[in-house]
Amino acid sequence: MSPGVSLLGTTALLFDAPGATDLPTQQRIWSLAREAETWPEVREAVPGMNNMMLVFARAPRNLDALEIRLHEAWAAATPLPLGGRLIELPVVYGGEGGPHMADVTGHTGLGIDDLVALHTAPDYPVFALGSHPGYCYLGGMDPRIATPRRKIPVLSIPGGAVSIGGTQTGVSASAGPSGWNTIGSTAMCFFDPTQHPPALLRPGDTLRFRAERVVR
Amino acid sequence: MIEILSDTALATVQDLGRTGALNWGVGTSGAMDPLALAAGNLLLGNAAGDAAIEIQVFPFAVRVHADCAFALTGADCAARMDEQTLLPWWSGMARAGQTLRLGLPVATAWPASRAYLCLAGGIDVPEMLGSRSTQLRGAFGGYAGRALRQGDLLRAGRPGGDVNGFGAVPPALAMPLQQDGLPAIRVLRAAEYDRYTPASHAAFWGEAWRITPQSDRYGYRLAGPSLTPIAPIELRSHGIVPGVIQVPHGGQPIVQMRDAQPSGGYPKIGTIIEADLWRLGQAPIGSRFRFLETDWATALAARDANEAWLAGLGRLANLQRLGAAAA
Amino acid sequence: MTLPPVDIARISEWLAASGLTALELRGPGCHLRLRQDRGTVTPMEAPSARQVVTSPGIGRFLTTHPLHSTPLAPEGSVVALGQIIALLQIDALLMPVTAPAGSVLAAVLAEPGEIVGYGTPLLELHPIAE
Repeated sequence: MSPGVSLLGTTALLFDAPGATDLPTQQRIWSLAREAETWPEVREAVPGMNNMMLVFARAPRNLDALEIRLHEAWAAATPLPLGGRLIELPVVYGGEGGPHMADVTGHTGLGIDDLVALHTAPDYPVFALGSHPGYCYLGGMDPRIATPRRKIPVLSIPGGAVSIGGTQTGVSASAGPSGWNTIGSTAMCFFDPTQHPPALLRPGDTLRFRAERVVR
Repeated sequence: MIEILSDTALATVQDLGRTGALNWGVGTSGAMDPLALAAGNLLLGNAAGDAAIEIQVFPFAVRVHADCAFALTGADCAARMDEQTLLPWWSGMARAGQTLRLGLPVATAWPASRAYLCLAGGIDVPEMLGSRSTQLRGAFGGYAGRALRQGDLLRAGRPGGDVNGFGAVPPALAMPLQQDGLPAIRVLRAAEYDRYTPASHAAFWGEAWRITPQSDRYGYRLAGPSLTPIAPIELRSHGIVPGVIQVPHGGQPIVQMRDAQPSGGYPKIGTIIEADLWRLGQAPIGSRFRFLETDWATALAARDANEAWLAGLGRLANLQRLGAAAA
Repeated sequence: MTLPPVDIARISEWLAASGLTALELRGPGCHLRLRQDRGTVTPMEAPSARQVVTSPGIGRFLTTHPLHSTPLAPEGSVVALGQIIALLQIDALLMPVTAPAGSVLAAVLAEPGEIVGYGTPLLELHPIAE
């Protein structure tokens, strides 16, 4: 299967790697992004979940040449293990900070302790940043705790909300609307625009959730 | 120095947007009508991308605390400096003690919904991650990372001075774009275009789309015929840009606008070309428009036309200012 | 006239880049006139007491703002000193034509929408007393 390349207007180009979402593919995406960032027509190479957005510095006249170069670079890309840091995140599960815990245990059929055990077990690789300042897309969630997104999105969940949406889990970095199920909260600050870099986490880092407390 | 007199929750400091911060999850923000912001700046001899105030709720008023050259562009809001009526897309001197008032946008040859107040030297707020635009979700940039409130004081980058007022022809008049009697917005197909039914394609290009009241700087929710995929589409999270036209499960499209988050997962049927995003950015809630399919060469020609229009305005404004300074 | 030669050179460059054939700039006690192929500076006459407003330069004469449908100052209306009573469009730029004194706008002399040159009579003003 060959990767998909499509346009986002005249602003950017989207590259989508074939196959199931996994870490080795993401490591190739990181490698591709590092290469593409050096091209003169590219302002930013932004990894997504096994895909990458190339934002144009200035939309090139000859789009075909850029596409060919992109395919060639992908074919040559080898997984780039970024070797980031391991960051442990203390979480209060359930209670006021985890208003949708009952929905998740209800959907999965798991007790709250089993659910917390499954959520805290893996090391979650940071695949990419996106959605809002400092927010991370994580890989590695146990499929047994997957829970569909909420039918009606919540107007605002607070920063630090730990939530599950489909087969993914994440931590909101600031207050905002969300369609995910919030199961806990953390006090960690993920984004500070006065720091460099402003985001606490970067692709290649690993996140581990630790149950500081479970409110039953 | 000006003081905000209105408690307008939704006026913000914006420039042409924040680039280079997507990898930290930071969207671009920036003016909904970048041509109006740039034109106002050029009338004042500012850099095209200097920060200005974007006003979208009216009436709006500011008190002038120190003399300053200003320009007003975008929607014609029948603005008045004290008792004196101001022409739209015009520059002039604001004197200490005067009050600038903008009313509701008036019906003109170009219906528009956002006004830009530019000051000489730009609105003097700190640059954050390469831009002075307000990042509302991240609560940084612009003025204290938030919308303007009553009592806020904003400084001009270049106070004082003395200008003779002159103006610009709104670009909507210089570069009109219509299709079958309605404003048109040019679109390039996006990744999932081919996964929609032929009837959806026909409706997308053929029918008029209405901008619903659930539309703001984050996105415009449109009302029109329902767009249906051939089979359900599930996507992984990926980068998106302002102008992308997403189709959530309900089938009514959402156009992501300047405060859009930098990633998403809904299917994308098309993307508005960057050169036309200002047209939608000014289209009033409740108004209707059409999507017009375009190709790469036309899209780049549209970009070149915008740039040429701004360059021409900048040159003429410089000539004018230099002549006035010499006199 | 105290315009330094270096400024005239800069204005000339911009003029060349703008694609215009000529440019007129005026202010109190000063009048600069440039053509594409040569720049000359001539002193301006003292403001006259005549009640005919002439064009301050080359451009398209407009009596209404391009966004509006009603004239800036209809014939017969009383206009104040400094009030914008017409516009001169130079490509994307709009230059004001202002009333030199409080008066009555008696007649529009030039055809709205037409290109006018420097000095073209545009508007006739009568004293308010008449």
